[in-house]
Amino acid sequence: MSKNHPALRLGQWTVMISMLFMLLAGCAAQSSGPQASDGQGFGQSSGAGESAEETGAGAKSLTLLFNFAASSLDPASDKKFISIRAGVTETLVKLDEKLGLQPWLATKWEQTDAKTWVFTIRDQVTFHDGSKLDAAAVKASLERGIAQSKSLAAALKVESIQADGQTLIVQTKEPNPVFPSELVYPFAAVINVKAQAAVSDAPVGTGPFAVKAFTPDAEVQLKRYDGYWNGAAKLAEATFKFNSDANARLLALQSEEADIVYHLPYESLSVVQSQPSVKVESVSSLRNHFLIYNMQQPHLQDLRVRQAVDALIDRNSIVQNIMQGHATVAVGPFHPQFSFHPQSEGAVYDPAKAKGLLAMAGWTADSGATGKLTKGGQPLTLKLVTYQGRPELPLIAQLIQAEAAKAGIGIEIQMVENPDEYLAEKTDWDLALYSSLTAPRGDAGYFLNSAYMPEGALTYGKANLPELTRLIEQLNITVDLAKRDELARQAVEVIQTQLPQSFIVHPNMGIGVNQRVINWKPGLEEYYLLTNTMDVK
Amino acid sequence: MLGLIGSRLLQMIVVGLFLTFATFVLMKLAPGDPVKTILNIDDVAVTQAEQEAVRQSLGLDQPLVVQYTEWFWRVVRLDLGESYITHRPVADLIESKLGATMTVTLGGLTVMLLIAVPLGILSAVYQNRWVDQLSRLFSLIGVSLPSFWLGLVLIYWFAYQWRLLPSMGNGGLMHLILPSVTLGIAMAGVYTRLLRSGLIKSLAEPYVRAARARGLGEVRVIIVHALREGVLPVVTMFGMSLGSLLGGSVVVEMLFAWPGLGKMVVDAIIQRDYPVIQGYVLCTGMLVVLINLGVDLTVRMLDPRLRWRS
Repeated sequence: MSKNHPALRLGQWTVMISMLFMLLAGCAAQSSGPQASDGQGFGQSSGAGESAEETGAGAKSLTLLFNFAASSLDPASDKKFISIRAGVTETLVKLDEKLGLQPWLATKWEQTDAKTWVFTIRDQVTFHDGSKLDAAAVKASLERGIAQSKSLAAALKVESIQADGQTLIVQTKEPNPVFPSELVYPFAAVINVKAQAAVSDAPVGTGPFAVKAFTPDAEVQLKRYDGYWNGAAKLAEATFKFNSDANARLLALQSEEADIVYHLPYESLSVVQSQPSVKVESVSSLRNHFLIYNMQQPHLQDLRVRQAVDALIDRNSIVQNIMQGHATVAVGPFHPQFSFHPQSEGAVYDPAKAKGLLAMAGWTADSGATGKLTKGGQPLTLKLVTYQGRPELPLIAQLIQAEAAKAGIGIEIQMVENPDEYLAEKTDWDLALYSSLTAPRGDAGYFLNSAYMPEGALTYGKANLPELTRLIEQLNITVDLAKRDELARQAVEVIQTQLPQSFIVHPNMGIGVNQRVINWKPGLEEYYLLTNTMDVK
Repeated sequence: MLGLIGSRLLQMIVVGLFLTFATFVLMKLAPGDPVKTILNIDDVAVTQAEQEAVRQSLGLDQPLVVQYTEWFWRVVRLDLGESYITHRPVADLIESKLGATMTVTLGGLTVMLLIAVPLGILSAVYQNRWVDQLSRLFSLIGVSLPSFWLGLVLIYWFAYQWRLLPSMGNGGLMHLILPSVTLGIAMAGVYTRLLRSGLIKSLAEPYVRAARARGLGEVRVIIVHALREGVLPVVTMFGMSLGSLLGGSVVVEMLFAWPGLGKMVVDAIIQRDYPVIQGYVLCTGMLVVLINLGVDLTVRMLDPRLRWRS
């Protein structure tokens, strides 16, 4: 046996192996040496490597870390909108801080008849390759986008486009009163289609930053475009990184490897706030977490049952205890910032009222000690479907389950992988806790059409509300903004009285920002992240 | 030898066919299709009719066999198609990710070998001494630690506390260290134990005693004689690890934002991006067959008994 012949002592082995490790460590240190010194390594102002020669030492740069990764930068296929978010491309129309429409690459627009829109394209704008932006370039870009993306085609409904100098005339297939607001959709971002580089790797846009290098699913390196029409960026360079792991993002903020970090986990925000070099921006988002009632289920067709469930949702407790204060109570589907948000009172948490409503609907506590509600011998048991994608949803589901149990309603929670497919195909569910951006481009039309029109893509609850359908049809042919607001407000009122869904909270986005970043504030729209005005100390 | 290679290449075709067909059927049995993603229903109000039109234009309304045959004939012409979502050619997508996956695979295996080989040899030579006990403990810990936790702890110390290494991205040797160590530590435990038991067995063989009797040094006896046989189970296992690592390691890729195959295919599965899933399954399936061929050839080289038999 070997242990009878240990020609080498244990100590000698140990020395040999540790020497081997030291040798290897030496190699690693050697090969990393030059990298670290040319700045290509890491650290808060990474990305300065090659540019140090181009733009001189001390060139200003920052790193933004985002939660979604993009495998292509093509604005017409990248669902993460990275080319807009990284300030590479721009759209004709943008959203301002108050979520109103603002001219961007277009200076003005008007509707000349039901299907015709005339846009004036901003003069003096150039693409990153120096070529001029005119109506012909916009036309080519939009036509390419529509051919590439059926999503953009469905949003714009374009029949034909004519270009003349800086004037762009668009004919739509059907009246599309929200056409300007649909142009905010990042898929409609304008690129130079004649550029040599592959659009998926380096789209040539008009934004303050041009793509220097793109590693799909890892990062985009950006450099300032000096000819930017709205004043060249203060930063010489920027890096837009992706990481889908929330804890890894948090550590990157704390280690100052990233200057701006999007979507920090709620429970970590107080920890981040205690670090002096960073601050937390908790910004309300356009998202809405809500409960969908399956209107195909007989017991939920009774409005009083839906009102009872609604009264059992303790929205303030959800904001305080589940979202740690980083959310606002939702009154209806739309964010209170919007002009079409009605001035109505929010739903009130009232278990006593819920019990009364259920009693009126014929649900009475059974004779046993369980306190469960029954009607005709059948217990009131509801199946609630939700998903893990947003970690707070299962917690909200549990809170609703606990409150419902106190009132005698049994709720069974089921987690599903793909809620869109499950809710569309299955009929066995009663409640679904879902989350949606209800007005992604500042107009109520998207959600109202998707969620309430019979042919919409988000009509999971299959509510049949003729009054609401009529209002939306009217909205779909109304151009005047004040009238649209009024119609949307009326639609929301119908939704609030008929309760096809119970809207719960608008979650905040938790964004960590290093103190050295100045002149930057995150917007509600989450579209325009890197800007020409942002700077670092 | 040539017969072995020939039969393996044939096997590769059979495996490729079977794998892709099975994946295709399973993906179709699972609910959902890519239409909602393509139309981006989270952002655009689309109608059922528009969804149906996309479904038809992609041929997703066709019978399963027709869809598979269509895909298959394109593959025969060396065309893996393009992603439904990004419109990138699938071959380009896989090619661009394979490099990153291979780098981190090699990094992980290197770290594993650096830990497992010395520890395995030491624990076999000093069986049941303190070094063996320590390595047993280490193996047990290494195998039990979930890699996302280990990765976070490594990021915490090396990137946050000591600021020695970058925590994410794929930018050079420094970026490779943390993902490699995370992967390596998780694998090292099993290999240490495997090497130890293989060596203990071969150290008891008569040829080892014969080598010692001829007066050879202990190091030579262990490295040249005993290790050659003791390493056989490790080589077989190594092939399996290599295969599974080349498929991508999702946890490590997510944590370190490492742009590899694992995350690519998970995204493709969530979005039901069939061409990407099929292309991935075909490529990794073939890679695994090739690796197994390599392992078999290596084992033959190391073990003369196998060569004599054939």
